[in-house]
Amino acid sequence: MSEKMKNLVTTIGPAPMTLAAVRKELKGSAGKRYWRSVDELANTPEFQAAVDREFPGSPHSWGDDVSRRGFLKFMGASMALAGLAGCTKQPDEPIYPYVKQPEDLIPGKPMYFATAHPFVTGAVPLLVKCDQFRPIKIDGNPEHPYNQGSSDPFTQATLLDLYDPDRSQHVTYRGENREWAEFAQEFRQKVASTKDGSGIYFLSETITSPTLARQWKAVQAAWPKATLVQYDPAITGTAAASGLNVQYDLAEADVIVSLDADFLSGAGFPGFHKLVREYADQRKTPEKLNRLYAIESTPTTTGLKAEHRLGLRASEIPAFAAELAKAVGVSGVDAPSYAWTDEQKKFLVALAKDLKAHAGKCVVIPGLYQDPSVARYAIVINSVLGNSGKTLFYPAPPVQVHPLYSSPDSDLKALVADLNAGKVDWLMILNANPVYNAPADLEFAAALEKAKMTAHLGSHVDETGQNAQWHIPAAHFLESWSDARAYDGTVSIVQPMIDPLYGGKTAHHVFQTLLSEPMVSPYDAVRETWRPVIKGDFETGWRKALHQGWLEGTAYPVMSYETIGALGEVPAPSPKDSLEIIFRPDPNIYDGRWSNVGWLQELPKPVTNLSWDSAAIISGATLTKYGLEEDDIVELSVQGRKVKAPVIVAPGHPDNSITVYLGYGREFAGRVGSGTGFNAYLIRTANAPFYAVGTIKKVEGKWGLAVTKSHYQDHRPKLFGGQGNGNNSLEADEAISERGIIRYATLAEFKANPGFANEGPSHEKTDRDNTMFPNWEYKENAWGMSIDMNSCTGCNACIVGCYAENNIAVVGKQQVRIGRNMQWLRIDTYFEGDLAAPRAHFQPMACQHCENAPCEQVCPVGATVHTPEGLNAMVYNRCVGTRYCSNNCPYKVRRFNFLLYSDFETESLKLMRNPDVTVRSRGVMEKCTYCVQRISAAKIEADKENRPVRDGEVVTACQQACPASAISFGNINDKQSKVAKLQADERSYQVLADLNTRPRTKYVAAVLNPNPELEDAPVEHKPAKG
Amino acid sequence: MAQIFDRSSNALARASLVLTGLIVIALGVTLDQLQRSPWVTRQGQRPDQPVPFSHKHHVQGLGVQCQYCHVTVEKSSYAGIPPTKTCMNCHAQIWTNAQLLEPVRQSWATGQSLAWIKVHDLPDYVYFSHEIHVNKGIGCASCHGRVDQMPLMYAENTLQMEWCLDCHRNSAKNLRPTSEIYNMAWEKPSSDKPVWCAVGDEKSGVPTAETVNCVTKEPAENGNEMSPLLGQIGIAPSKYMKFTSQDELGRFLVVHYKIRTPNELASCEVCHR
Repeated sequence: MSEKMKNLVTTIGPAPMTLAAVRKELKGSAGKRYWRSVDELANTPEFQAAVDREFPGSPHSWGDDVSRRGFLKFMGASMALAGLAGCTKQPDEPIYPYVKQPEDLIPGKPMYFATAHPFVTGAVPLLVKCDQFRPIKIDGNPEHPYNQGSSDPFTQATLLDLYDPDRSQHVTYRGENREWAEFAQEFRQKVASTKDGSGIYFLSETITSPTLARQWKAVQAAWPKATLVQYDPAITGTAAASGLNVQYDLAEADVIVSLDADFLSGAGFPGFHKLVREYADQRKTPEKLNRLYAIESTPTTTGLKAEHRLGLRASEIPAFAAELAKAVGVSGVDAPSYAWTDEQKKFLVALAKDLKAHAGKCVVIPGLYQDPSVARYAIVINSVLGNSGKTLFYPAPPVQVHPLYSSPDSDLKALVADLNAGKVDWLMILNANPVYNAPADLEFAAALEKAKMTAHLGSHVDETGQNAQWHIPAAHFLESWSDARAYDGTVSIVQPMIDPLYGGKTAHHVFQTLLSEPMVSPYDAVRETWRPVIKGDFETGWRKALHQGWLEGTAYPVMSYETIGALGEVPAPSPKDSLEIIFRPDPNIYDGRWSNVGWLQELPKPVTNLSWDSAAIISGATLTKYGLEEDDIVELSVQGRKVKAPVIVAPGHPDNSITVYLGYGREFAGRVGSGTGFNAYLIRTANAPFYAVGTIKKVEGKWGLAVTKSHYQDHRPKLFGGQGNGNNSLEADEAISERGIIRYATLAEFKANPGFANEGPSHEKTDRDNTMFPNWEYKENAWGMSIDMNSCTGCNACIVGCYAENNIAVVGKQQVRIGRNMQWLRIDTYFEGDLAAPRAHFQPMACQHCENAPCEQVCPVGATVHTPEGLNAMVYNRCVGTRYCSNNCPYKVRRFNFLLYSDFETESLKLMRNPDVTVRSRGVMEKCTYCVQRISAAKIEADKENRPVRDGEVVTACQQACPASAISFGNINDKQSKVAKLQADERSYQVLADLNTRPRTKYVAAVLNPNPELEDAPVEHKPAKG
Repeated sequence: MAQIFDRSSNALARASLVLTGLIVIALGVTLDQLQRSPWVTRQGQRPDQPVPFSHKHHVQGLGVQCQYCHVTVEKSSYAGIPPTKTCMNCHAQIWTNAQLLEPVRQSWATGQSLAWIKVHDLPDYVYFSHEIHVNKGIGCASCHGRVDQMPLMYAENTLQMEWCLDCHRNSAKNLRPTSEIYNMAWEKPSSDKPVWCAVGDEKSGVPTAETVNCVTKEPAENGNEMSPLLGQIGIAPSKYMKFTSQDELGRFLVVHYKIRTPNELASCEVCHR
């Protein structure tokens, strides 16, 4: 790009700001104050420049350097084509019918098969939608007792992972194509020549399959000296890996305390689907509200959802847990002495009092990435409060999601020692990527070279695959037979949806190769495992298990846990002025395994709304302390190991602490993931996997982060209701004139005034008669949506579900930076209160399907029109791309295809597309359709059967994915429908109702349940309310 | 200085103005016609197929019912193109050596699909559903023409949007009893060939085909030549109404087949998503 061009492109991203400016802004405000980004709060000129232009830099910013002459040439060509396009005829299209059509197949009707996503924190039971045997949409199994149909961003995105064009496609030996049989023969011979398996090592991802565990035990019996090491960077070393598998039951918990447990934001926490559901169920009606306290070391959606949140540095949390134990009456607690602040003391006292008041009806959940003492203390606290057996259970005997766990003497460190000692003759790596993600101090890559032979089974030729001599393409879980246990222990059979696209193999194949019957397929092996468990006729039981998706009666038997072992040491917090670095798996791409999944890369991370990147996340005070600005590059170092990272501020982050997400900075991830972000594994050591003390140093340059929270700002002059004073982003308007985008009340306020959401000067209701246009009578169906603000935890599952359902394009980091991401649905995060201790409100925002839609009135070509059932329809073929509609949309939910974002070329991606939704091309506007394809399908079915569409028959993709059941959809004309009842609730309100757009999506205002004793916290950290 | 333009130039100028206008109009008309011409729509064109399959021979000559090959027409948006297996059901026995059928045998032997050329090819942004049309009284021949008289398949209609909307705005003119969907020779009712229809017990959840019954012979009290359905539905012959024009029949069927209103049927999202 030329220099001139560059200046014309406005990037929406973090702009320089200082904490002083933010504080000044905050001090000057009265009443409730909401803000979306720190930049907005500081109201920097850069931010204003970004807000000034809805689509910044649109006419000028081409991806490449195009000269004026070249531009005219292109224009000439496209004009000529445009003229001709009207008269061209379609090319001949071939039809390829089956030779023998499968019996049950009805082309055009999807088929659904049950399977499970074998994830490391517990399998997610699934029901996969297949179109002519191609999986096209993944959703939770609605009948499964564990997740009841919900899913999460990871699970949704495994679909794109299956069709990833960069997956490895051949068995190779030193880069040359080979056959699987050649590998199997060589491996088998080598192992046979050792007689007892000595020198044979396996390094696997965490084994979740009971069948694989059984096969390993058979291998071990045959070759007793063969060694298996399991390593998963996000799990190894946590309580989840050490065999403790506590079952929480939040349905009966009135008070929930999270000790750095991020159980509301994603499947990275064991039991996420169940915990969110149970948490959200207790938030649906004000009559029965739970109360959540979060003590956390990095701001997460769990903490921001909490009634009371205390940000502590990671190393302070074990000591805090011990103090809490002492305060609730655990005897023999040896809490390290620490200078707690008054605020922290007050929090502790109030929390302990509240816990004691709710003994037997509360629960303390320890975090995964904490010192083991936190988990031990949580057990004791729960036990003393009498919660065991009520709000939490312990499996008896302690069986676990992971059928084999690494014994301490066969961990990765021992393997590296053996490698360095030259003891390893053959290292077989199973779906692990240790060259990339092993602790930096182990120097794994160097050690690997000392193995005499290395083989790598993996989906990609990744960092480890590059260094291994043999590489075998791994089959995706949607291509293979296996089994796995969900959080509650229920066994699901993993059944393939499609033949391996590239002839992939699984770890089952590898282990079976070494056994006396090497040709036993994974299918037979899985059947063999469950033959003794299935009662009655095996074939019937097996078919039933496949059909319903789980094996009856395999959930863990539970018992309460009364044996409290030694409480053990509690590590002292690191000195107050030392800088802590916290390592967390990325909320989107986890430990890096989904690096090449564009949907997850582009998905804005919760809290920071950062996309395509990782950053050193810090507090505003720490930013000032080190004289930094957002987007600056810093050098982080831990024990002499260094990495360069950009800086970003997260409201509520503890001071003197930095959060870095693992999983970025990959070299060989593929076309999407390679080279994004920085590699935090470079400073992570085996002894301090979750937090370490380090240092920070500013280095030259700016990184260029893509942050979406400054997008979608509305900007209007005074004439049209704006402030006209330069401080008029929609959010600022809202904060000052109280437009009531977010409406909530505390329980006490709600009881005093149940109609709070629709009363008062800024909470206008729409007026049906106040319109220039004749009103349309919606006779039969009137589609509407209701979103429960109290339930939504901002986990992003809906957005990824929408990607898959609606063929949404991925645009890339540069395009995100200039505000062109294509998500039809976004989750707006409105922070409230103090920068250091905010509360946040998560508001899913998609097209509101206004009855009086401003977009329709300005479209010059009738490309966006209203349907008789009240949908705001988008006709892509009519759209000429004026973007007037987007300009006139007060919700900023319309997305424009500036460039040809959809990939029409890559073969594997064609298989993935939803055949019922158009793949949009360049130059058209698009937006949420309320999943019109699903509405149409339901209407055709209903019309054929001569009946109205039933309530619950149309489920939108976002609704289906939501683990909190925050979204309801249906016919609002049917007064008995769930959505009509919710919309009639006195807490339901419409966003920007004063514009009289009459949106069909309504939000149910949140009611919070704060502890009265904590309502007046010290001034500096006081949330504006609650 | 002498005048450059003679007086006669005025006439020329006027003529050229008119001519320019005419040319512009002619160009517009030409383009408009071109856009609707078979050159663009392929209406009536017979592409080269791997096998010169004759619908006329199979339907009219042999009486093969449409759904023998197009199995999913009532159940799915796609009518379904028969797999090679369907051809081989008969052609493993008859015409086993015919040269014309060589591609079929090849396909059967090698497992490679026959590559037919799509004759009725809607643009990719149009989502058409066969199932709702045949379940609501639109016969095959209404769109596909007299397939039983086509030795080689061609598109009878343009399949352009205006053609679709023509019916979606007034579906009464093409509705026929669902019992006559697959009848290629169905003719709209006239005073010579009237149609008698009756409605049974209409209930939500009962498909309309089970409650509305139409016959082409006058139902007499003694019930000579009645539709077999009549017995099931149990409608007294006296309840039957006589229709002598498509207009009357269409309006009757619109009501009793619960056809959506023109406003709903012509809404964009019905076909485009």
